This record gives sequence, structure tokens and C-alpha cells, in this order.
Amino acid sequence: MVLATGAANPLLRWSYFVEQWDRIEEAIFQHVQLTLLAVAFGFVISAALAFLGMRYRWTITPITLFAAFLYTIPSVAFFGVLVSYLGLTLLTALIPLTAFTILILVTNILDGFSSVPASVREAADGMGLTPAQRLFTVEVPIAVPYIINGLRIATVTTVGLVTVAAIVGYGGLGRLILDGLRRTFWTPLTIGASLSILLALLFDLLFYALGAWLTPWARRRQAP
Amino acid sequence: MADAVGTTPAGTMMGATAPAATVTWLAQAAVPRDITLAEWFTDPETWTGSNGIVASLGDTLLLVIAVILFSVLVSVPTAALLAHQRRAELASAWVVNIGRAIPTFAIAGLLVPVSLRAGYGFEPWPIFIALTLLTVPPMYLSTYTAVKQVDPAAVNAARAMGFTEREVLLTVELPLALTVIFTGIRVASVQVVATEPIRAFLGGDGLGRYVRDGIGQNNPTLVLGGAILIAVLAGITAVTFVAIEWLAKPPGVRRLAGGRTERTLSARKQLVET
Repeated sequence: MVLATGAANPLLRWSYFVEQWDRIEEAIFQHVQLTLLAVAFGFVISAALAFLGMRYRWTITPITLFAAFLYTIPSVAFFGVLVSYLGLTLLTALIPLTAFTILILVTNILDGFSSVPASVREAADGMGLTPAQRLFTVEVPIAVPYIINGLRIATVTTVGLVTVAAIVGYGGLGRLILDGLRRTFWTPLTIGASLSILLALLFDLLFYALGAWLTPWARRRQAP
Repeated sequence: MADAVGTTPAGTMMGATAPAATVTWLAQAAVPRDITLAEWFTDPETWTGSNGIVASLGDTLLLVIAVILFSVLVSVPTAALLAHQRRAELASAWVVNIGRAIPTFAIAGLLVPVSLRAGYGFEPWPIFIALTLLTVPPMYLSTYTAVKQVDPAAVNAARAMGFTEREVLLTVELPLALTVIFTGIRVASVQVVATEPIRAFLGGDGLGRYVRDGIGQNNPTLVLGGAILIAVLAGITAVTFVAIEWLAKPPGVRRLAGGRTERTLSARKQLVET
């Protein structure tokens, strides 16, 4: 193999942005799409598991252990096992990405709801709120900072893991990284890696802003 | 056993191409698509040679152990000292957040051309640095919080007895913090073993190579076999660390510690949540 070096193969050729913009745009779109889908599915599953845990306390330990088990499955192995059954499909990429979010989301949702003081719950009951009213007007607002924090960590972690899904053909920006490595052509590699890091930072910032916007009382309390 | 395998198409095809196997990829291409998982695992050729499981496992273990040792040596003393002096509390939180935001595959990818240009080749520096960045934050965080949370009464008693600061850290704080520090090392080490296989997609080998070659050759059996190997190694790593933790505890403490699972889970949760 001849390695193109120096001027012929710079770390970043700016003209690539213009020439291959369609490809970059598609990669960004797929990256965001996979991230949001995985976190959304993970959130629905985690919310259901957390609800189960709150309803029947004894299920919390097995749920957490199972989520921790999923979290420690090596990503390459997880993608690999699914490839051999489902082939190079969207599901093969999406199932592990979703599974990896569950531990972070479940623990944060449970922490959020267990942070509601018992006295607050009793006061809500005493005021005659129905269980549904109590959940949505009292407990959820108190749990929101924890839930947002969970979503934030899960999303940033998923942005990083999506690049690994490139090995099964659905990696968004990870495909640019893998393509660059295969052809030892550094421009797509640099673009894919840099943009995926930027995307992670962007999501981190977005969730920080969302958390601040959803819980104005947290800021008001801090202000003198 | 070897004879039985030798008569299958798998054995004959492998035997036929083995002498011409000057390029790694070609040797791997000799794994036929219709091979079953049992045949692949029982074929001696799967295990031996430069592409064999034994050699790949050696590659993986060497890198993983190097990363873990290096990370422990860097993060544990630094975190213990800073926590003892109650310094860099904000900086600690910040370092940990940055660590989580960096995707391992992307950072290793970015380092590959840098390493090649510096004349160090595809391997092992890019993946070594990327894995170290993955490992240092949880190890640092667990050590920092563990030392900080040591009962101040014990620390003050030691000081009153005339211990130097150095002795307070080495003989009081560190022994009391050891369990939590070790949990951090375990969680980080399992993460390293679980992440190392991406190395096969960064121009290296190791246990991840079978998944890579299997996908490249559209051979589901090879992919599955490789995935099983990676998962088993991660499982063995986790179990080994738990066993060491258990054995390192004095029998009296072991009997007392009914809440181990509870504590481990909360420590893990803390690491995950940052």
C-alpha cells in the first residue's frame, strides 16, 4: 500500500467541504437522526422501567443490574452479534445504541423521583390532588433537573458511540472516519472526527440551555 | 478431532491457502462462509498462528494492561494528593466532564495520521492515548471522592497523634478509601476491555479483528465468533476484578459487608452520572 503523505494528503483539505458537501451533510443528518432515535427509544423504555420500579420497589435492583449489564456489553461485540442475525440494517445500529442509554436514563429518572420529599407528596395528597395531578404538577417538575441531566449525558455518550456504528454501515460521521482510515485519506477522517466531537459539545450545550429554561426557579433561587 | 475438522471444507480451504498467506487479510479471507460456529472454534488453525485467537488475545491483553497500569499510575496519586489537600475541586469536575464529551473512536481516528507522520505507524499510540483518555476520568473521580469522603474524625485523630501529612494520606486516608478507589479502577478497566476492539478498525488487530474481517467478508459466523470472544473477555475481566475485591477484604469485613451490591451500584451510578 502506498501511503500518500505531505502535501498530497494533508490532514484537512478545505475544498473537500465544497466538493463533498452532500456527503458531509448526509453524514451529519444521519448522525443526529441515529442519536435522537436512540435517546428517544431509550427514554421511553427507561421511563417505563422507572415507573415499574417506583410502583414495585423490589424490581429496582434487577432493573438496575440488567441495565448495567447492557451498558458493559462491548460495543463492537454488540454490533457484531446483531450483524450476524439482522445483517447491515438500521436496527443493527439502533438496538445497541438504545441499550447503552438505558442505565444512565433509568438511574437519573429514579433519582429524580426519589428526590421528591415525602412531605411534599403528602402535602399534594392533602390538597386533594389526584395521583395523576400529583405526578405531573408536583413530582415531574421536581424530577426535571435529574431527567435533563440524564438525557444530556446519554446524548453526549451516544454521539460518540454512533461513530462506532460505522462498522455496520450506519455511523453518520463515523463513516467518514472509517472511510478515511480505509483509504488513508485524512480529509474525511479529520472532518468526521472533528464534527462528531463538535456535535457532542453542541448537544451538551443544548441540554444545558434546555435545563435552565425548564427550571427557571433554580436560577431564581441562586440569585441573591 | 483435528482429523474430523480437516475433512470439512473449512479445513481443506484453510490448509490450501495457508502457505500463500503473506498478507494478513488473505489468510483471513480463507475462512469459508458456510463454516459453523462450532467448527470455527474447534479448528486448531483458528487458535494458532499470527492471526490466531491466542496471538490476538495477547495483543489485546498487552494493550489493555498497559492502559490500565498507566492510567492508575497517573490518576490515583494525582487525585489522592489533590483530594488530601482539598485542591482543584472545580477543576476536577471540569476534567471529568471534558473526558465524557470525547468520543474514543473519533479521538483515536484523529491521532492516526499524526502518529503515522511522526513515524510511529497506525499502532499502538492512537488507541493507547484514546483509551487512556477514557479511563483516567472515572479513576480520577473515584479516587478524589473516596479520599475526600474519609471520616474527618479519623484524619484529625491521626494528626493529633503526630502523623505527618504524608503519613495521614498514606496510612489513614488511602487504606480507608481503597474499596471505592478499587471500584473505580474496576469500572474503568471493564470499559477499556469493552472499547479496545475498535482498534481493529483503526489499522490494528487484537480480538476485534474477527468482527472486522467477518463484516468485510460478509461472514456472519466469523462476526459472531469474534463478538463472543470479546464479550467473554469483558465478562472475565469484570468477574476477576470482583473476585480480587472480595479476596482483598479481610474475612471479618467480608461477613459484615451485606450491602456490597448496594454500594457497588451506587458507586457505579456515581461514575456514570459524573
